Amino acid sequence: MTTSPGFSPAPQPKSAQAPQPASSSHSARQAPVIADAAYLASLKKVTQYYLVTAFLALLVGTLMGPLQALNYGGINVYDNPILKALLKSYYQGLSLHGVLNALVFTQFFISGFLLYLPARDLGMKINMKFAWFTYVLMTAGLLTAAVPLLTNDATLLYTFYPPMEGSPVFYIGAAVMVGSSLLVVGQVVNMWMRWKRANPGSVTPLVAFMSVATWMMWAVAALGIVTEVVFLLIPWSLGWVAGVDPLISKTLFWWTGHAIVYFWVLPAYIAWYAFLPNHAGGRIVSEPLVRLTFVMFLLNSTPVGLHHQYADPNISVTWKTMHMFLTFLIAIPSLLTAFSVAASLEDAARARGGRGLFGWMLKLPWGRPTFSAPVLAMVSFILGGAGGIVNASSTFAPVIHNTAWIPGHFHITVGTATTLTFMGISLWLIPHLTGKRMPSVRLASAAVWTWFVGMMVFALGMHWQGLYGVPRRALVSATAQSVYRDMPIAIPQLLTAISGVILLVSAVLYFYVLFRMLLSKRVDDGEVSSPIPYSEVISPAGTKLAGASALVRYTEPLLALWGVALLLVLLMYGPVLARLFANAELVPGWRLY
Amino acid sequence: MSAPRPAGQRLDHHTLEKYENIWFGIATVMALFLFVTVLASFFSGTYPSLTGEGGHHITGVKNGRLNPKNFAATPFATPGLRQNADGTYEAFVVAKAFQFEPAVLKVPVGRPVTIHVTSADVLHGYYIEGTNINATAIPGQVTSFTTTFRRPGTLNLICNEYCGTGHHNMINSVKVEVQEP
Ligand code: HEM
Ligand SMILES: [Cu+2]
Ligand SMILES: [Cu+2]
Repeated sequence: MTTSPGFSPAPQPKSAQAPQPASSSHSARQAPVIADAAYLASLKKVTQYYLVTAFLALLVGTLMGPLQALNYGGINVYDNPILKALLKSYYQGLSLHGVLNALVFTQFFISGFLLYLPARDLGMKINMKFAWFTYVLMTAGLLTAAVPLLTNDATLLYTFYPPMEGSPVFYIGAAVMVGSSLLVVGQVVNMWMRWKRANPGSVTPLVAFMSVATWMMWAVAALGIVTEVVFLLIPWSLGWVAGVDPLISKTLFWWTGHAIVYFWVLPAYIAWYAFLPNHAGGRIVSEPLVRLTFVMFLLNSTPVGLHHQYADPNISVTWKTMHMFLTFLIAIPSLLTAFSVAASLEDAARARGGRGLFGWMLKLPWGRPTFSAPVLAMVSFILGGAGGIVNASSTFAPVIHNTAWIPGHFHITVGTATTLTFMGISLWLIPHLTGKRMPSVRLASAAVWTWFVGMMVFALGMHWQGLYGVPRRALVSATAQSVYRDMPIAIPQLLTAISGVILLVSAVLYFYVLFRMLLSKRVDDGEVSSPIPYSEVISPAGTKLAGASALVRYTEPLLALWGVALLLVLLMYGPVLARLFANAELVPGWRLY
Repeated sequence: MSAPRPAGQRLDHHTLEKYENIWFGIATVMALFLFVTVLASFFSGTYPSLTGEGGHHITGVKNGRLNPKNFAATPFATPGLRQNADGTYEAFVVAKAFQFEPAVLKVPVGRPVTIHVTSADVLHGYYIEGTNINATAIPGQVTSFTTTFRRPGTLNLICNEYCGTGHHNMINSVKVEVQEP
């Protein structure tokens, strides 16, 4: 059994006293050995570069968070002279926070994580020159976009809705950065196809399967934002065309903008499905079911984006309603995930002697951060998902649209489900890649728990304020009118302010652990001391397609399913966009920041 | 206490498969149920759904589009409430950085009012505090919806879409009045 650092194996039933049917448990995957040491070292290095860049972005982006939380606590710190020297306005800080956390941190982390995993899972060689080129290009895009952000020339927030206009440098940098992720898609799909050719009739191993499906979904999703930025915003910001149609842009943005949340959360699902059972000492429940889940996400993640546009005119209610229907359907694979992962945890706890309907939970290794991070992330995601259903309902949406409820919602989804899982992954993946050790399990554990608690308090405060109509994206603590002082929101304001402080403490703890670890010396071989934490399986997918269950056979042809996914998006967006283009009304840009 | 349970009582393939299927069924039914309930509230009209694209006839507005630089030929040139010949009420609102015009929109209590909103510059939000009126104002486009204000009083009208440095001060009001006989 593979173990993670500091792991004490779960007591295994002794065969003498408890005979176990041979078929009921399948041992954890042994990924193919990569003999070429120089190649492996380079692969690990590029992965590490992606991860470290991601966390540096998170560090800068997160610094803004507590200040914003104070704003929603009714305290305006943005007149402070030191802060004024750094940030021209609340909105510049918020643009940095949104872009660095939601777009940069996630994309870089995922580009590293989901390049490394399939390469190892399949034991394939990838072109390392190309891999490094992609990393450098993505980083160049990031640095380019960062300049106007830092000089207040792109204070557009991370949604950059036109006709608010930013420097062309911002749009160009963003296009290069996001475009580079498509090169990662190419590399992963290519390695998978080479593996298929070399292994005819074989079932793609689970981790590689999930990674390839995620990248395919992202490729379909990214088409919207790439089209928007490359064909509409760049020419407009350079003055080549006179204007821009704000509604076409917004629609293309949300083509990507909803699916991107699955791009953020599916890598976390991969960790929950494949590795969390190992961290807990349990088994993966059913590989065929996991494959079904990922295929559902591949097909259904993108043609749902109109649920972000219930408040927009000139898009027919019928189309909005169809997208709403598909949005509700996409809840199903997430509900399946909740079932499977919870079953894995129960399996682990019972193996450790846990008893009772709920009592088994006590037997889980709550003090171990590689375990607690993904599990708390998941708990957070269950609450976030419930709120998401409210947001997706066109009848509820007008009550909370663009209120503080929304940031309350996505800090327990991307801000915790994704971020906390990625933090937990870094605690075993960085030792694995570098041979360095986590400096302190206790501090890391404290970071994980305070993040969870902080975000729960934050979400409570923000959802609550949102219900009273406090708008998001506003320096409400400096509003001249008495509107917000007249609302009965003292308690949620206090909660929000307190959560900012808890989260600041948490971030300091986490980044201390992370950088202590990164700056320490290599102590052992990460392959041995911190192997990829594959888990045992109760119902595996098998290795040969012949004789595999129908579910396995139908989910295997990912290329064809990719085509279906694209077709579905064209069906659900084509008519909408065609009408918008037919009635396009170009308007001039404005710079009001 | 931590003695291992007999292996037979660990989760096994067949039990799990059964629960999986049940759960799959529950999840699907839940999603469908949600959809049906939303449709029900949709058709019963508990919220003001947006119309556009020529759903209304407004002078100078075609397919819900107009030129944001020139309102002269449209009713947005003189924002405010008006009563049509057939007795219905229409209000025209222009959002621009950083205020709404008219600054105080007066509407009659208990009478359906169709509100048309557009923007003269960037995106703005049109949110009336304590209601489910929450729409985007887009330059070049008209957002229309019909609603009835049931109680007299003054409501805050808040811009809830980022529109620049003065965004957080873009707050005006809607005054619901009892009509003089
Ligand atoms: C220390 C932890 C954090 C705190 C205290 C915090 C606080 C906040 C607050 C108060 C807002 C609302 C600002 C507004 O609407 O005016 C906000 C917005 C946002 N946050 Fe965070 N945040 C934190 C971490 C994160 C993380 C980890 C992510 C994502 C990975 C994230 C992503 C976002 C995004 C995308 C927005 C929306 C920006 C916009 O509306 O343009 N935040 N944050
Ligand atoms: Cu969405
Ligand atoms: Cu505004």
